[in-house]
Amino acid sequence: MMKKLAAMLLTGVMAVSLAACGGSTAASTSSNDSAAEEEVQEEPAEEADAAEAEADAATAEANDDTTFVVGFDAEYPPYGYLDEATGDYTGFDLELAQELCNRRGWTLVKQPINWDNKDAEIDSGTIDCIWNGMTYTGREADYTWSDPYVNNSIVMAVLADSDIQTLADLAGKVVITQTESSAQTALESEELADLTATFADLQKNPSYNTCFTDMQAGAVDAIAVDIGVAQYQMRNNPDKFRILEEPIAAEQYAIAFKLGNETLRDQVQETYDEMLADGTVMKIAENYADDNLPDMLITEK
Amino acid sequence: MSLISVIQQIASGFGATLLIFFCTLLFSMPLGVLVALGRMSKFKPLSLLIQGIISVLRGTPLMLQLIVVFYGPYYAFGIKLSTNWRLYATLIGFSINYAAYFAEIFRAGIQSIPVGQTEAATVLGYTKVQTFLKIIFPQMIKRTIPPVTNEVITLVKDTSLSFVLAYQEMFTYAKQVSAAMSSLMPLFVAGVFYYIFNLVVTIVMDRIEKALSYYN
Repeated sequence: MMKKLAAMLLTGVMAVSLAACGGSTAASTSSNDSAAEEEVQEEPAEEADAAEAEADAATAEANDDTTFVVGFDAEYPPYGYLDEATGDYTGFDLELAQELCNRRGWTLVKQPINWDNKDAEIDSGTIDCIWNGMTYTGREADYTWSDPYVNNSIVMAVLADSDIQTLADLAGKVVITQTESSAQTALESEELADLTATFADLQKNPSYNTCFTDMQAGAVDAIAVDIGVAQYQMRNNPDKFRILEEPIAAEQYAIAFKLGNETLRDQVQETYDEMLADGTVMKIAENYADDNLPDMLITEK
Repeated sequence: MSLISVIQQIASGFGATLLIFFCTLLFSMPLGVLVALGRMSKFKPLSLLIQGIISVLRGTPLMLQLIVVFYGPYYAFGIKLSTNWRLYATLIGFSINYAAYFAEIFRAGIQSIPVGQTEAATVLGYTKVQTFLKIIFPQMIKRTIPPVTNEVITLVKDTSLSFVLAYQEMFTYAKQVSAAMSSLMPLFVAGVFYYIFNLVVTIVMDRIEKALSYYN
């Protein structure tokens, strides 16, 4: 009786786990493709033992000096996001990183990260840099930085039919922004302390996308947000939102490396400067003309 | 972006969810049996140590445990983390957390078997190991299927917690698609995926329960 039972249980477990392996093989391989190896290693979906093959590939990549692991928030269009059509990660910054890797003969690994943990990610070496609309202004001493490459401004987005017209109208209103974002830093800085003090409440949410849903639902009155993100939302939801004319802060984006990692920074900077000089950077920015990137790009040293 | 392509994108993360789900079950259940036995050990220090560990694992958020497992090696020992550690840390975190819960369920199952059976087995000349494997364990499995099913269903939904390590499972994808589309619809699609998955889990566990109740 015991043997029967054991046999039955074992069979059950094995059948289930085999089925699982089968299922996860194809799927996790494809997810890996899109996450990391897109364009780089377009191997046909391996039928082999998925988890192991995937792990081995990952090890090889991580230990390889020619691998360039870019950490980014995959919920941050137009700088880094999931392309609906292809299922690959793309965006202005990721396209730049891809071109840079092509020129240096590096393998690009696009590693989505949890934005709240970006410091731990970069310190522990799981990523080589953060290249994702990362604000340089105000964080100068926290990382080793490339030269700034994009002029960004932080604006207030409100509903199209809102009665808020100027920053002064924000008095007594509920404002939301992304947790750990540069907008939050700006609002909590001394320069904007007077403005922030007039809000009824300053709320934080891990995702800007949720912030915009909150506002549509009426839960908040305004969003402090990077202009590029606001414009992306406005394109996807025509006539729903409006940006207040007066920006609340001006700042610059740069590529962040682990503090002290100047070797890698210099290599990246060298190739980036070449790309800037021969117009490639501008060409990539043109792909994001709807998001105003050509105007925001820093073209001179 | 059509509903079909949303479903395709979200489904591409389903494999990772399945991987976490099955690997966690595979590791945490046997580990749970061992932990339950250790917890019931007559050797006090072992029993107390395991009680302490279970207490911490059940008393702190799983999300925090995942962070500790993932970044712990770097912050505690200065070990540089590799790319695949993201998956391994997720699996280790889930497995030890669920082992703690399973251990308590299994302990309840083991202790629910009348002592008389153990005594009878001793009289018949069974060794302790034989008594456990041939008499206690099979009955324990049968009795604990309903609470184990509860945990398994919770696990299906808990897999989404691996977003904290940015491991790309289904819910992470759903959020990314949601951001790319500036719409919440993909999150509801993910909800349907979880519901169907749990429906299947419930049916399978029900079948197993029926198959094992051959004395009734």
